[in-house]
Amino acid sequence: MGVSLPRGCDIFCTVVDNFGDIGVCWRLARQLAHEHGFTVRLWVDNLHSFGNMLPELDADLPAQMCRSVEIRLWEDAMPLVEPADLVIGAFACKLPESYIAAMAARKAKPVWLNLEYLSAEDWVETHHQLPSPHPQLALTKYFFFPGFTPKTGGLLIEHDLLARRDVFQQDEEAQSSYWQSLNVPPRAANELRVSLFSYENEAMHELLRTWEQGAQPVTCLLPEGRALPQVVRYFEQQFGKAGDVWQRGNLRVHVLPFVEQSLYDELLWACDVNFVRGEDSCVRAQWAGKPFIWQIYPQHDGVHQEKLAALQVRYADGLPEEVASAVRDLWLAWNGGADIAGAWGRFDDQRDQIDKHGLAWAEQLSGNNLALNLLDFSHQVA
Amino acid sequence: MKTAQELRAGNVIDVSGEPMVILKAEYSRSGRNGSVVKMKMKGLLSGSGKETVYAADDKFEQIILDKKDCTYSYYADPMYVFMDEEYNQYEVEEENLGDAVNYLTDGMEDKCEVTFYEGKAISVELPNTIVREVEYTEPAVRGDTSGKVMKPAKLVGSGFELPVAAFIEIGDKIEIDTRSNEFKKRAN
Repeated sequence: MGVSLPRGCDIFCTVVDNFGDIGVCWRLARQLAHEHGFTVRLWVDNLHSFGNMLPELDADLPAQMCRSVEIRLWEDAMPLVEPADLVIGAFACKLPESYIAAMAARKAKPVWLNLEYLSAEDWVETHHQLPSPHPQLALTKYFFFPGFTPKTGGLLIEHDLLARRDVFQQDEEAQSSYWQSLNVPPRAANELRVSLFSYENEAMHELLRTWEQGAQPVTCLLPEGRALPQVVRYFEQQFGKAGDVWQRGNLRVHVLPFVEQSLYDELLWACDVNFVRGEDSCVRAQWAGKPFIWQIYPQHDGVHQEKLAALQVRYADGLPEEVASAVRDLWLAWNGGADIAGAWGRFDDQRDQIDKHGLAWAEQLSGNNLALNLLDFSHQVA
Repeated sequence: MKTAQELRAGNVIDVSGEPMVILKAEYSRSGRNGSVVKMKMKGLLSGSGKETVYAADDKFEQIILDKKDCTYSYYADPMYVFMDEEYNQYEVEEENLGDAVNYLTDGMEDKCEVTFYEGKAISVELPNTIVREVEYTEPAVRGDTSGKVMKPAKLVGSGFELPVAAFIEIGDKIEIDTRSNEFKKRAN
């Protein structure tokens, strides 16, 4: 006790699926730097992927400052550096042995946290903040679990995010400018706007056909990425790229460039329904307050289905059964289940209620701020 | 070296120079095919217990201590007494039994492995699979033989409750995995 709150932070991130891990780390790094005055070094093992969400990043530079965060290429040969006061290893990545030895050698040991994956399962509460004493060294790491309940670490949210969302959603001019910046026409009457960020998905073809043959015009905003080849095949194209527009029946698809995080937030805010994948975009869709459909990262033995159900149950808690089941059915259909056409119809029927619920859900979650919780905990264990 | 996911209650590992006996190990699936293991452990030098969590692939030096095959004999408040083949008796505190205490019953014949540190019995490992009789459970659900629908059941002797398949009835003998406290199948 009596130790002042550490003000320097090293965050380590290995890029696994291009955008999820680095997306979370980049948000956290910026939040610690901008909102809490930390000097942040972000160590990343793949700057090329990172460059997709940070246009000014030079992927050939091993060290550079971007938006008040020092970004370092994390190579096998780790340079000798003085460890920061607060060290965060994201998603169980293994820190370099030399860096761990340097932490252990410090007289005042750094606060060392492992920021874990997000899960809505109950067991997360009993694992959150538990110590993980190093097997050989006099050094303790702590597991910090994000989550959806007060007994977990909460979710990443910038202090002004919901206020900015509200302003944007009430400002038709801002939304028009946004669509214009993406070369997407203004909304037509009775049109549904859907963002579609997903992994490869067996239900993709049927979903697109449902929209094509539906009564309501659907404009689908598709960021470049893993889902694009399936959509290309659906429209019988040879290839697809940002800027392409394809129309069939009542479905029109606009392929968007992969945009940086703030612009992706605006896409979520501006659409009526958002399809999201993995961890980072799932959280951002919840802050958007709009109806969303989550495609969870698939795991080899199907354990992801329990994680999907856990969030669905928490999210739908308090909803009338017909609304909750509409959400459940569509999430399941989009995650390996059947009959996405029927599930989409039932979801769409309940969309007004899901819409209202989404705003209340975001409000409910917003009090559990991950960065603040993380700093409080760091202070406790320093 | 053993990974965290290979460790089980009763194992003794070196953590920063202190021998720690594992009282309970609980495996959970994290994200992206990762896993974590929550472990309750007790320092053999300090005597202090702590709850910890590790990545499933974290590695530990296992300390090999003297072990003896024993059978559970009786409870002498507050100690549990085990006996080896030469009728030597060893007392073990409840806290050091971990989840094994859930399956100790008078007259049980399962071979238990008692671990000793400086002559003192410090932990007990049960066989990975044991058979116990169900004392009480709600009536069996007809037609469900999938084993996927579960209901609680209370065991004879210890009174421990665990989820079992819906088709299990009072008096049935069931196989249990003692590492995870999970019902495996009907034994009779």
